[in-house]
Amino acid sequence: MLEKPEESGLNLAGVRSRVQGSQGKVVAQAFAKVLLIQVFITSALSLALIFKDFVAAYSAFIGGMLYLIPTAYFTLKVQFKNNAHTAKEILANVYMSQFGKMVLAIALFSLTFMLVEPLNPLSLFVTFILMQISGWYLQFKINNRFLKR
Amino acid sequence: MAELLFIAVALLLGLSALAGALGVSLLGGKFLEGAARQPELVPLLRSQFFIVVGLVDAIPMIGVGMALYMLFAG
Repeated sequence: MLEKPEESGLNLAGVRSRVQGSQGKVVAQAFAKVLLIQVFITSALSLALIFKDFVAAYSAFIGGMLYLIPTAYFTLKVQFKNNAHTAKEILANVYMSQFGKMVLAIALFSLTFMLVEPLNPLSLFVTFILMQISGWYLQFKINNRFLKR
Repeated sequence: MAELLFIAVALLLGLSALAGALGVSLLGGKFLEGAARQPELVPLLRSQFFIVVGLVDAIPMIGVGMALYMLFAG
């Protein structure tokens, strides 16, 4: 027996929203996990450096935060406060979040270099680059979807 | 010397912006193509799109940081 078009459309919509919900939840959990691991790495690095050089320790912490704050903003906007459903809405939301992330990063970098004195730039940039690399590595490890053939 | 520093900062910021813009716009175009071809895959494409957008801007961000350091410390 054939289904009524409205019923099948309704069912399809229901299934689609459920799939979208579960998929979004899994990815949001992966993003939160990556951010937590990165907070831990930053804290551990700063604590390890605190006994050697206090300036290097807080510079490393600032470097970690310079990466984590814009990334957390992007994740929050894209994963947790996202009501977009169509492809066009999703794209607009991602572009706006990306713009916000870049503006936030530039503002935080400028504030750091203007206000924090003394600063150890090597420690700051090494932690910042380490965070970027750990972000790539953890995303590829945790989202094992990329590794499927 | 100061002029050269400003040119270096401008090049770093400009090339970072160009690289980020190219990467994200190519990704966005591919996402729209995929969504138009197979609309039922939008949830899956959406999650992968979010992840890769987060990865694309890593090098431009480092470039921006270096440029701002040169500008303020120089």
